[in-house]
Amino acid sequence: MRPFRVKMENPLVPDPEPEVRSDVVVIGGGPNGLITAAYLARAGLSVVLLERRQELGGGLATEEILYPGVFANTHAVYHMMVDYMPALADFDLSRHALTFIKPNLQTAIHFKDRSSLILCNSFQDTADQIAKFSGPDAKTFTHKIRLYKSFVDEILAPATYYPPVPPVEFAVNLGRTPLGRELLAISEMSPREVVEQTFVHDKVRALMLYISCMWGLDPEVTGLGFMVPLLIYRNMNKCLCVGGSHKMASSLGKEILQNGGQILEVSEVTKILTEGGRAVGAETWDGRRFLAGTVISSLPPKQTFLDLLGPDACPAELAGAARNWKWDKWSFFTLHLALKKLPRYRAQDPDVSRAFMNVLGVEGMADVVAMADAALEGELPLPAGHATVESCYDGTLTRVHGLSTAFFQIMAPYDVQGGWEKRKPEVEERLLAAWREYSDDLGDDNIAMISSESPLDIERRNPAMARGSIKHGDYSALQMGFFRPNDLCSGSRTPVEGLYLCGASLYPGGLILGGPGYIAANAVARDLDLSPWWKVPEGIKKYVETYL
Amino acid sequence: MVPSYDVVVVGGGPNGMGIAAYLAKCGLSVCVCEDRLELGGGVENAEPLPGFRIDPHATYFYGAAGPAVEQLELHKFGFRMHYYQDLMGAVSSDGQAVSLSMVEPERSARYLERYSKRDADTWRLYSQLPRAQMVHLLRSIYWTPPPPVGMRINREDLPWVKILREYLPLFDLSWLDLSLFELMDLLVENETLKVGMGMASWYNGPHPDWAGTGIFGLTCNLLNGISTGSPAGGMHTLAHALARCCMRHGVRFLTNCRVEEIIVEDGCAKGVRLADDAPVKCRTIRADRAVISGVHVKETFQKLVPARDLPLDFRQRIADLCLKGSSLFTLALITTENPRWSGDAAEFYAETYPTCIFTPCDSREILRSQTREVDSLHTHPTRPESMLVPICQHDMADPTRCPRGYHVLSPIYLQVPPPEDHVDGPEAVNHAREEIVASILATIRKASPNLTDDKIVARFVNTPYDSSLRNMGFVGGGWYGIRQSEDEWHHRRPLPELARYRTPVDGLYLCNHTSYPGGLALFAVPYNLMHILIEDLKLAPGPWWYPSPDYIAEEV
Repeated sequence: MRPFRVKMENPLVPDPEPEVRSDVVVIGGGPNGLITAAYLARAGLSVVLLERRQELGGGLATEEILYPGVFANTHAVYHMMVDYMPALADFDLSRHALTFIKPNLQTAIHFKDRSSLILCNSFQDTADQIAKFSGPDAKTFTHKIRLYKSFVDEILAPATYYPPVPPVEFAVNLGRTPLGRELLAISEMSPREVVEQTFVHDKVRALMLYISCMWGLDPEVTGLGFMVPLLIYRNMNKCLCVGGSHKMASSLGKEILQNGGQILEVSEVTKILTEGGRAVGAETWDGRRFLAGTVISSLPPKQTFLDLLGPDACPAELAGAARNWKWDKWSFFTLHLALKKLPRYRAQDPDVSRAFMNVLGVEGMADVVAMADAALEGELPLPAGHATVESCYDGTLTRVHGLSTAFFQIMAPYDVQGGWEKRKPEVEERLLAAWREYSDDLGDDNIAMISSESPLDIERRNPAMARGSIKHGDYSALQMGFFRPNDLCSGSRTPVEGLYLCGASLYPGGLILGGPGYIAANAVARDLDLSPWWKVPEGIKKYVETYL
Repeated sequence: MVPSYDVVVVGGGPNGMGIAAYLAKCGLSVCVCEDRLELGGGVENAEPLPGFRIDPHATYFYGAAGPAVEQLELHKFGFRMHYYQDLMGAVSSDGQAVSLSMVEPERSARYLERYSKRDADTWRLYSQLPRAQMVHLLRSIYWTPPPPVGMRINREDLPWVKILREYLPLFDLSWLDLSLFELMDLLVENETLKVGMGMASWYNGPHPDWAGTGIFGLTCNLLNGISTGSPAGGMHTLAHALARCCMRHGVRFLTNCRVEEIIVEDGCAKGVRLADDAPVKCRTIRADRAVISGVHVKETFQKLVPARDLPLDFRQRIADLCLKGSSLFTLALITTENPRWSGDAAEFYAETYPTCIFTPCDSREILRSQTREVDSLHTHPTRPESMLVPICQHDMADPTRCPRGYHVLSPIYLQVPPPEDHVDGPEAVNHAREEIVASILATIRKASPNLTDDKIVARFVNTPYDSSLRNMGFVGGGWYGIRQSEDEWHHRRPLPELARYRTPVDGLYLCNHTSYPGGLALFAVPYNLMHILIEDLKLAPGPWWYPSPDYIAEEV
C-alpha cells in the first residue's frame, strides 16, 4: 500500500525543518514542563517545548467532553498551592485573563441523616461546623489548624519548591526546632493514625481522612503522616481557575512564547538523543530532531529512562531504579453531567449546595479505609466520592446558555474485570444512583448530557498517567521526598549529563504543586551559570536557613 | 486605568487572529478578545472520547496558495501541512470511483478512462496547467479585495477573467453565466464525476445549479487540488500556529472574555466593552485606531454595535441577509473498521485512500432533492428522501488522531436548513438529531455495508443549532456565514457598501467569513483587509508584505 500522505516537491506551505537547534528541549507540556520552560525562556535561553497532545496542559485539561458545547475539567479542578507557587508570583498571568476563585465553602461532607459538615476557608467557620458534631473536636481543630498552617508556611510549602535532602539528614535538621520536631513525630504515623489521634468524632474523622487520602494516599501507609496537616490545611484553600484549569496552562504557554520560546503540539517524543553518554536532544514520532544542550523530561522514569533513553544509553543503575517505579495505587472514575439547572443537595444546611467540593457516601472513617482497600484490591469501591458543580463559580465553561457542568468522582482501580470499555455504562449508572441519594435535582429531566472518564480513558488521553496514575506514581515513603523518583535524580539532575527531570514523578510530586518544574528550572539555571531573573521567595530563604 | 491598544479585534478565529498577526507585524499594539475558552473559532478539534480527536467544523486548510502563510511565516511557528495523494473521491452506489489528483494526475486519468475517454483527456488538458498559473488564477479570485464600492467595471476587465482567458483552455466568456452543472455538461460525460464536482462545489461555496457561479465551483475544485491539505494533528493546530505567530509579534489575547458591545463615539469605533464575567480587572478596552470584528456580520450589527449608531435601512438589510445553504450537521464516528467500498472503488482506494469520499454520487437529482429542502424558506429539519454525504477521515494519513485498531470518521457532513428557518423553532433540528443520524448511517451503509452498529464505538453530533450556541460566529450554524450565491459574492458580499471591509461606523472593519471571499479557512479575508488598512491607517509594512497585483486602490 502506498502512503496516503505524500511528500510534495516545493510545497506551498514549507515543510518543517528536519533538525532544530535550541538551548533547551522540554519534553511534555504539562504544568511542570510549562513552568520549567517559562522560567528558562524568560532567562534568555532558546526553549523548545514538545507536547504529544494537540493541547498543552497535561493534568491542566479543560475539554469539551460533554460534546457539543459543555466543557469540563478532566483532571485538576482544585488547585491547593496557588498561594505558594512561585510561578504564579513570578509571572503576571493576570495579563492573560487568568483569575482564581477561592470560595469560603470548600468541602462539605454529607451524611445520610441529612446532616453535613463543611470545611471552610475560614478557621472559625470550620470550627463552628465541627462544633455541630463535637465540641472537643472543634477545640482541637482551632488549636491544630494554627499548627498545621505553621507546618505548611514554614516547612512544607517552602520545601515543595526546594530540592530534597536525604531523609536522615532532613530528620536531624527538622529536630532543630520545636515545630520541626512536632512535624517529625507526625510523619512516622499513617494518615489514619494521625486523624484518629487528633479527632474524636467519627464523622469529623471521616472528612479529615477523606480529604487526606482522596488523591491516592493509602490511609495505612506509614512515614507520610506529614501529608495530613498539609492536605487538611490546603484543602481549606483550594482555588478554581476561571475558564477552566487549562487556562493556567495556556497562560504559562503564552509566557513561553512571549519570551521567544517555541511550543510544538502533536510532537510526541520517541527518543532522547545521546552522544557519548550525554543527552543532546530529542526525536519525535515523525522523525524531526530537536538538538539541545539541555533536555528536560516531564515524563515518569519508566518512560524517560526505559522507553526514550533506551537500554543503550541508560546507565544500568538508573534503569534498575526506573523499573522499580510503582504507578499510583489507584485511579479514578469520573461521571460528568451537563445539567439544565444547578442542583441542590438534600442536606438540611442549604449552604452545602454552594460548597466547592461535596463528599458523598462516606459515613465514617471506616468507609474511607474500606474504599481505599477495595481500590487496592482491584475492586470497584463503594460508590462514594466527591462531587463538584463547577458552574456554581464559573459560567464560562458552559456556552450553551443555562446549562451547568458537574462531576462526581470515585476512586477506581485500573484493572477491572471485563475491562473499562465494557464496564463504563454500568459504573455510570451506579455513580448516578449514588449521587441521586443526595440530591433531588439529578433526575433524567434535569440531565442534558452525560459523559464519563475511566482510568483507561485517563491513560489514553495522557499516557504519562500510565494505569490512570494522575500523580505519575505512587505516594509511598519509597517514592517520596529524596526518593522521588529515586535517589539518583530527585533534585532534577540525572546521572545522564544534560538530562533533567521536571514532572510529577519528580520530588515533591503531582497535584499541580508546580514544585518539580520550579526545582528543575533552578537546577538548570545553576548548571548553565545563569543569573536568575527571579528572586527566591522569603519563605524559602528562611526555610533553607533554618532547616538545611 | 482603562487599557488601550491601537487595534482591538473581536473574536479569535482564524480571520481575527490573521489580521491581528498582520497588524502586530506592522508594529501596532493589538488585543484580541475571544468569548470561548480556546482560540481558533471554527478551526478547532475536540476530544470528547479520550484519545480520539474529531472535527466539529473545518477539516481542511485551503489557504496554501495564498500569500498569508508565507507573509506570516506560519511554518516557522510549527504549522505543518499534510498533503494527500487523493484529497477527495466520488463514489457511486455501483462502485464507480473518481478522484482528481493533482499530485498524480495521470493515475486519475487512467481511472477516468474506464468510464470516459473524453473525460480523461479533458482532465489531462486541465491538470497540466503550470502550478504558477493556477496559483495566480486562485490569488486573483480569492486573495484580491473586490473593487472599490460603486466602481463600475466590465466583467471582461476583471483581473481574474483576464487570467481565465489567458490560461484556461477552451474558456469562453459565456462560461461566466453558467452554473457548475451546465459547465460540467459542456466539458465532461461521466455523471459520478459531475456529481462529485457539484458536491465539492456546494460544500465549498456555490450550488452547482446557480447560474453565474459555475466558474467559482470550478475554482473551488482547483483550490481543493493544489491549495488544500490538513494540518498535521488536526485543524486546531493551525489556530495554535497562528496564535504563536501573533504572540511573537506582541498580540495580547484575552480568552473567555466575551465582547458585549463595540463602543461607538461620534460615529467612530473606540473600543469594546466586555461581559461582566470576563476574568479581567477592567472590562472596557479602548482602541485608538480601529476595531475589527472577527464575528458574523449579523452578530456585529445586530448585537455588538448599538442600534442607535446604525442607519435604519442598513439594519434592515443586515437582518435580511440570507443564512440558507451552509448550516452544517456534523457527525463523527469512532469505529473499529474502515469503510469497505465495492466495485472499482475497492480497487482504487486499496492503493491510496482519499481523505474525503462523497457518496452516493449516482445522479445530480439526489443532490437537487437535498438542496431543494435546504434552500426553501421555513421548513422542517427532516431528512431528504435521499442524500449525498461527504465522509472525511484523516487517521489513514495521521496516526495521531486515534489509538491503533480504531478509526475516526470525522467529519461526516450534512447540510440542513438553517435552524432559524425551522417552522418549529431553532431547536427542532436537535429534536430530529437521531432521525438524521439514522439516515446518514443508512446512506453510508449503502456504499459501505460493513459499518454496522457493532463496529461503531461512539458517535458525536454537532448540529447547526449547537454550533450557533457554542460559537457566536456561527450564526445559523453555517460555516461560510452567508450564501455564496451571486447576490452575496464578490463586490456584493456581504452588502455592496461592506465589500471593502469598511462599515458605516468609522474605524470599524469586518474580518470574518461573511466578508469576501468567505470561509474555508482560506486565510484570505485578513490578507485582503490589509490592503484597506494600509490605506486607512497609513501602515508601512516591511518588505515581507506584497499586495495583490490585481488590487484596485481607492481613488483619492
